[in-house]
Amino acid sequence: MNTFLVFLEQREGVVKEASIEAWNLVQEFVALRPDTCVSALLAGPADILQLDGCLAGKGVVYHTNEEAFRLCNPQHYTRLIAETMKRVGATTLFFADTALSRDLAPRLSVRLHASLLSGCTFDQAWWDGGGCQRPVYSGAAMAISVPRHSLKIYTILPHAASSATIISGASITFELLEPLSFTSQELFPLVRRMTMRKGVPDVAEAAIIVAGGRGMGSAEGFALLEELARLLGGAVGASRPVVDEGWRPHAEQIGQTGKTVAPALYLACAISGTPQHLAAIGSAGTIVAINRDLHAPIFDVADYGIVGDVHLVLPKLIEELQEFLKKR
Amino acid sequence: MHIAVCLCQVPDTSSVISFVEGVQDLSRVNEVMNPFDEYALEEAVRLKERFEGSSSQVTLFSVASPSAREMLRKALAMGGDRALLLCTTEVLDPFQTSLILSRAIRDFYGEALPDLVFCGKHSTDFQSAQVPLMLAELLGMESVSAIIKLEASEESIQVEREIEGGIESLEVHYPALFSVEKGLNVPRKTTIKSVMEARKKPIDLLPVTISESPSITVTSIKPLVRAKKCRFVSDARELVRLLSHEHALF
Repeated sequence: MNTFLVFLEQREGVVKEASIEAWNLVQEFVALRPDTCVSALLAGPADILQLDGCLAGKGVVYHTNEEAFRLCNPQHYTRLIAETMKRVGATTLFFADTALSRDLAPRLSVRLHASLLSGCTFDQAWWDGGGCQRPVYSGAAMAISVPRHSLKIYTILPHAASSATIISGASITFELLEPLSFTSQELFPLVRRMTMRKGVPDVAEAAIIVAGGRGMGSAEGFALLEELARLLGGAVGASRPVVDEGWRPHAEQIGQTGKTVAPALYLACAISGTPQHLAAIGSAGTIVAINRDLHAPIFDVADYGIVGDVHLVLPKLIEELQEFLKKR
Repeated sequence: MHIAVCLCQVPDTSSVISFVEGVQDLSRVNEVMNPFDEYALEEAVRLKERFEGSSSQVTLFSVASPSAREMLRKALAMGGDRALLLCTTEVLDPFQTSLILSRAIRDFYGEALPDLVFCGKHSTDFQSAQVPLMLAELLGMESVSAIIKLEASEESIQVEREIEGGIESLEVHYPALFSVEKGLNVPRKTTIKSVMEARKKPIDLLPVTISESPSITVTSIKPLVRAKKCRFVSDARELVRLLSHEHALF
């Protein structure tokens, strides 16, 4: 019997969508393999009722309510995950690809002597033999990596879904874990504080991203994109020149030296589409490009395009959307 | 204060990664210092300058082919004191690279370990971001990845990192390893004087033996083909209709 363990990440007691998606993807895979079962680990105080109707398939969710896990202290988490892997006899560990898993997974792979594949998508390479396919060399090439050890760790690039589906017929049980005790050496690094921005989704997690390039003209030019993002419940993203100009913060940068994103809808406004930028949006669902230049590379990857000046097209788009949303 | 900085080379962003009959051809690629490593190096040099003492040293470690000397010269001109080039022409996975780095750091510093180790957040070619944290585990050091702010005192270090939707502030003790995100600092430019001085600084070439087999294997690298047919729409109303009706996106 193979056992897979999925790590469910919580922030402020809320389990991340990306973790739930990872669980559901793993369940889809396991459904065809009766010799494999799935468990999950949820660390930190969180109301398990929030998971009702979210998790597909069957399995056990191990949960620890311990205060020490409220904030994501790396040492505590690493030990808890390593011990839970041993306890359930798991051969494969899955994380959503997040700031937390990028911090923990490499450490765990050394500690557990496991092969680590980061930023995977559940595509053919994975179904065929546990391979991970992802763009390399700023999007010029696609590489497939395969694990060599019997223990494996995957971090899965989240696809932001546009709406959560309610799952029925699942059979999930919850088991509370015994508290762990930590020595003072295990205390550090210690998370002192977590400061969350309120009200707007993060560009790494948003289902809809409205991104702007240098053609937006100025920091003020982004007001149009902010309004559009607010209408759509999405996040504002930016290309590298925009961040280098200081128009937007680095946290919003999409590309090689910024974030890799996979929203359901990506709206690229006045972004010409460097290979580095295109690589970072390679897993997006629907891509819409608005650009003055018909020959801009962004149109090669877009599903829909409007050739025109963003300063003329965007106000109209905002108007049309307002009208559409009012009618609904 | 003893500070180690790990550097790697990546193809410069304007380089063409070409394929000859389906096989990757890196012969026309111009290699440069990984951009994130520049932030790592800059932070190390700033700390050295702040905690200036006769024993304060920034030592550079790089697992690379002998051609990386030029990159290390630049790093020395940016403020490194000496460099160790751990020479290999083999393609290594992140675990093997971390292992070589950890052994070289232990050999160089002995049991004391450096006070701080800095790495770039990830290399811009493969972007797996695994080496820094693997290295921290192998060295038994505290670590924080992708930091955007650092304040060091004699006793501890306060750092910040971006998480989805916010910022995490952490307290870390020495010795510690940090991987560095863009935005932590603005790397200095080299000057003619610093380039001249760098010529006198030592670069030690050390051949490495690879004792462990890789943990992962790259089985294929193929050109990325993006074939999408863009449907051009004439106005915003049509776009809203398509996105809402045909894709149910809002």
